[in-house]
Amino acid sequence: MPSQISENASNALPVAPETLHDMLNRMLPPGADDGDLYIEQSSSESLSLEEGRVKHISASTHKGLGARVIKGEAAGHAYTDRFEQASLMEAAMAARAIASSGGKQDPVAIHDSRPAPLLYQASNPALQVPLADRKILLERLDALARSIDPRVKQVFASVSSSFSDIHIIRMDGAHIHDARPLVRLNISVVVEENGKRETGGAGGGGRFSLSRMLDGDEAERLVREAVRLAVLNLDAKAAPAGSMPVVLGPGWPGILLHEAIGHGLEGDFNRKGTSVFSEKMGKRVAARGITVVDDGSIAERRGSLTVDDEGTQSQRTVLIEDGILTGYLLDRQNARLMGMTPTGNGRRESYAHPVLPRMTNTFMMAGSDAPDDILTSLKRGIYAVNFGGGQVDITSGKFVFTTSEAYYVENGKIQYPVKGATLIGSGHEVLQKVSMIGNDLQLDPGVGTCGKGGQSVPVGVGLPTIRIDELTVGGTQT
Amino acid sequence: MKPSALSPRNKEGMSELSRHLVKAAVKAGAMHADALAVADTGNSISVRNGCVESVEREDGCGIGLRAFVKTANGLAFASASSSNVSQAGLAALAEQVVSMARISEPDPDAVPPVGADHPDAAAIASWQKRHPEREAGWTLADARQGALACEETARSFSPEITNSEGADAAFGTTHVAYASSDGFAADYAKSSASLSVSVIAGTGEGMQRDYAWHRALHVSGLRDAEDLAREAASRAVSRLGSKAMQSGKATVLFEPRTATSLLGHLIGAINGRAVLQKRTFLAESSGQNIFPDFVSIHDDPDHADGMANRLFDGEGTRCARRTIVDAGQLTGFMTDRYAAGRLKTRATGHARRGLTGDTSIGPSNLIWQAGSLDQQAIIESISHGLLVTELIGFGVNGVTGDYSRGAGGFLIENGKIVRPVQGITIAGNLKDMFAGIAHVGSDMTWFGSSAVPSIAIEGMTVAGE
Repeated sequence: MPSQISENASNALPVAPETLHDMLNRMLPPGADDGDLYIEQSSSESLSLEEGRVKHISASTHKGLGARVIKGEAAGHAYTDRFEQASLMEAAMAARAIASSGGKQDPVAIHDSRPAPLLYQASNPALQVPLADRKILLERLDALARSIDPRVKQVFASVSSSFSDIHIIRMDGAHIHDARPLVRLNISVVVEENGKRETGGAGGGGRFSLSRMLDGDEAERLVREAVRLAVLNLDAKAAPAGSMPVVLGPGWPGILLHEAIGHGLEGDFNRKGTSVFSEKMGKRVAARGITVVDDGSIAERRGSLTVDDEGTQSQRTVLIEDGILTGYLLDRQNARLMGMTPTGNGRRESYAHPVLPRMTNTFMMAGSDAPDDILTSLKRGIYAVNFGGGQVDITSGKFVFTTSEAYYVENGKIQYPVKGATLIGSGHEVLQKVSMIGNDLQLDPGVGTCGKGGQSVPVGVGLPTIRIDELTVGGTQT
Repeated sequence: MKPSALSPRNKEGMSELSRHLVKAAVKAGAMHADALAVADTGNSISVRNGCVESVEREDGCGIGLRAFVKTANGLAFASASSSNVSQAGLAALAEQVVSMARISEPDPDAVPPVGADHPDAAAIASWQKRHPEREAGWTLADARQGALACEETARSFSPEITNSEGADAAFGTTHVAYASSDGFAADYAKSSASLSVSVIAGTGEGMQRDYAWHRALHVSGLRDAEDLAREAASRAVSRLGSKAMQSGKATVLFEPRTATSLLGHLIGAINGRAVLQKRTFLAESSGQNIFPDFVSIHDDPDHADGMANRLFDGEGTRCARRTIVDAGQLTGFMTDRYAAGRLKTRATGHARRGLTGDTSIGPSNLIWQAGSLDQQAIIESISHGLLVTELIGFGVNGVTGDYSRGAGGFLIENGKIVRPVQGITIAGNLKDMFAGIAHVGSDMTWFGSSAVPSIAIEGMTVAGE
């Protein structure tokens, strides 16, 4: 019953249910495999501090509708931010353009879908802490950074929050609602000593309240971490160049998994056979003892989703179990074409973007080695505990990620910090070279953003301390 | 919400929106304000294995406002954007920005949108004559044909092409209007058409992917679809059998496609705001010879082939051609009015303005002046080196200039290309890399709004086997 929509949704639909009903029924051609309307209302706020002042506060408010029609391997997608009848219908018919013939699908009745358990609070973080209080906090963090070390010359601090209210109305008539909060605090500093400058940064966040982000000790911890990293890098020496063993610390270094295997296991690439992992289902792709999962159902994590952007409930998907490839990350279209079940990984940046299979929180399960033993095992190599970004070529499997805190190690002892270096390896080989797995699994602090096909979505990663027997380290010291 | 009579998605509509928004800001209590209204309409089509894979249509419009309020300690400002272009939406946005500006901290150096060096009516008229606005010249049906022909040529290029990621064709028009409370208002429309294709050679763990793309203001300026296809396919095939090379020092030859990234690193490092905050390794390098004397680089906002032509920047400042690097010497920094004020120079017309946020700084068309040797001659001059055709990763530290990125390409030994290479990194420091340029090629090529020749740099470190 269309009229149920506005009564049962926690946030009123910005389009009359009758109109949605009409759009859905007109845009779906006979033989359509799938289709949906995606209505998004989002707002965000950000305060940024530089040179000791919160000079700039910004905000945005956006609302739009995306219409999708899917038939076989083809998808039609159109969006508009005009909500009058004619524009909406124009978008619906443009999405239909994918289908060559006319005619109509059987009528669809819209009904509220059984809700998935909520993984985060459906309330706008921006309404929880007044702007003026957020400003005072940033000023306090600036003062703290400068008081920790006189070499701190510049402090950049920002706090941002967003809230997206989403309605998905699918071809099967299911109406699914989700409301997603996201907060983020970022600190970076520039330190200077004897004319030499370095930078360090730290951040955190997730799908929780701004008060939780700002009230406790976390903000101060991030400031201390940013200053520590910057000062550490002042003394960094050139990193070695060449192939050597590498120990990765726990947490954010899990970006290794995101780049090395996560993208390569996304359904679209595997259906098309363009991923180096395409033919490897059921085969060994990692050493024994390695289990890697993608789990969008962890409460309040940055990469988590109550439901994905097609309304599929988030789940824990085992990608690699004891070294064997067991799962792909799937949206509805790729799942159908591959004869598999959607895994809740259909995501889009906004109503203006098409759905792609994407990661949520991707991490390796803990092993049994003590982290100290892993470091001690390193005769000569690199111990990398913090990273910047990474990238992968899913076809050749070559991936990179760049250190932001790493040390040269000899005979199990840290010798000195090394400058940022890019590490390069092959996704289908690197996990087979893992010889030790720590018992200290950590998830990252909530800072990941993944780019694919021009779309950015928040993600998480995690890793215990691991030892990789061979990886190419891109330093300058030969 | 009622449909707004204000918002036809054309120049007139955007112009009206931006002016109304400035008025609404002043009414809400802003001392100064400037506004942007942007409408995007476009279509794109993807084909794969000879079939249409996706059809997309965009219809978006946004407004952005920056408002300054006067406080006892100077001007404070805030900004916000919205997709609600109704009268009520404009008023609400204005109220929101003004109330946020009252919370922001005043900045004694703040530069409100008053008294910028705006282009005059004659300059605007002359510009419009030289750069007539027109649509991209494509229909969805033609774009589909273009994409299908492109992909077909790439797939049938060689039996070694085993798979396809498809071809994409897109076209659209963006209408932009800017207005400020000092009475300046101007608008422009920009269309573009683009075509890209990506195919795979080889099988299993030996697969190699490569691509080619081109973008132009009008479809008549696009590269031939089949020519593009042959480039993508021959690149993919040529990479078959790639493996790492030995670690050590090497001369690295960036072909134009990868040399554009070097230009990006330079532009990031001469950003006036980064200079103010000492977040760049070139903060003290103005007037210094940072390149060999055969390197000259220009920023040209008024170029016949330019994808980033502009009469005025994001603050309404008149733009002009500028030599950034003159025979090796860095002539100065790129500035908006804020950075220029703090650095005590004139604004260079490089303010960039998105719907939300303060102004930032960015280039128009960048042109790295071609040298005399063709790429083959440069290769012949290299005894041990690497021709880089692909770079991955983000290993560039803008504060120190430290550089370490993943790379793929071809091993050069004794003046000859020997074999394809992948799985290696190249590293150095940008300051040394700029100074270490040994050759600039004659093969200047446009990629979007940058024109770059091949660049050979001596003394970089390769990490591989």
